[in-house]
Amino acid sequence: MATSVYLSNPSVTINSVDLSDQCTAASITYTVEALENTAFGSTARTYTSGLANNSITVTLYQSYAASETEVSVYSLVGTTTTLVLKPSSGAVSATNPSYTLTGAYLESHTPINASLGELSTIDLTFTGGTLTKATS
Amino acid sequence: MYIIVSPRLGTPGDKYEPADGVNVQALIDGGLISTDKPKKSSKVKEEPVEE
Repeated sequence: MATSVYLSNPSVTINSVDLSDQCTAASITYTVEALENTAFGSTARTYTSGLANNSITVTLYQSYAASETEVSVYSLVGTTTTLVLKPSSGAVSATNPSYTLTGAYLESHTPINASLGELSTIDLTFTGGTLTKATS
Repeated sequence: MYIIVSPRLGTPGDKYEPADGVNVQALIDGGLISTDKPKKSSKVKEEPVEE
């Protein structure tokens, strides 16, 4: 029987810094670009694998306090880093796999993203890098 | 050698060994880790032992 997943306690580590308690959304996009190799004589389009083009997007509450979001993120802009995401904060296992994106590039960051009457949040997109999955 | 400052990386005061691909300079810039400066040797000379 199929089951639906409800994630309430994922683990999000950015550049070794555990920012799980500031994170409200996270997604990994695992992509291998499709290169068309259809040729004369083909009756349907066909593709072969190209370069991997992975990305991770996270939404974090902004905080300017020591050890919080801003100081953890600001210096990463324009550089590459490593992110580790897990469905749950528990030990890595087959049912709680760990996804590591190594060499991911952070192009931009919004140090101030404010609206009256709302908590400030920031959206970060890390692109590129090598994605690996661990189950132990 | 690096020392953990922020509890978000581990126990403050413990040694920090960066994993592959971690941007160490960003952690230093953010005050999340510190560099361990080697201690200077004492300049006070010990008194000669009288025999």
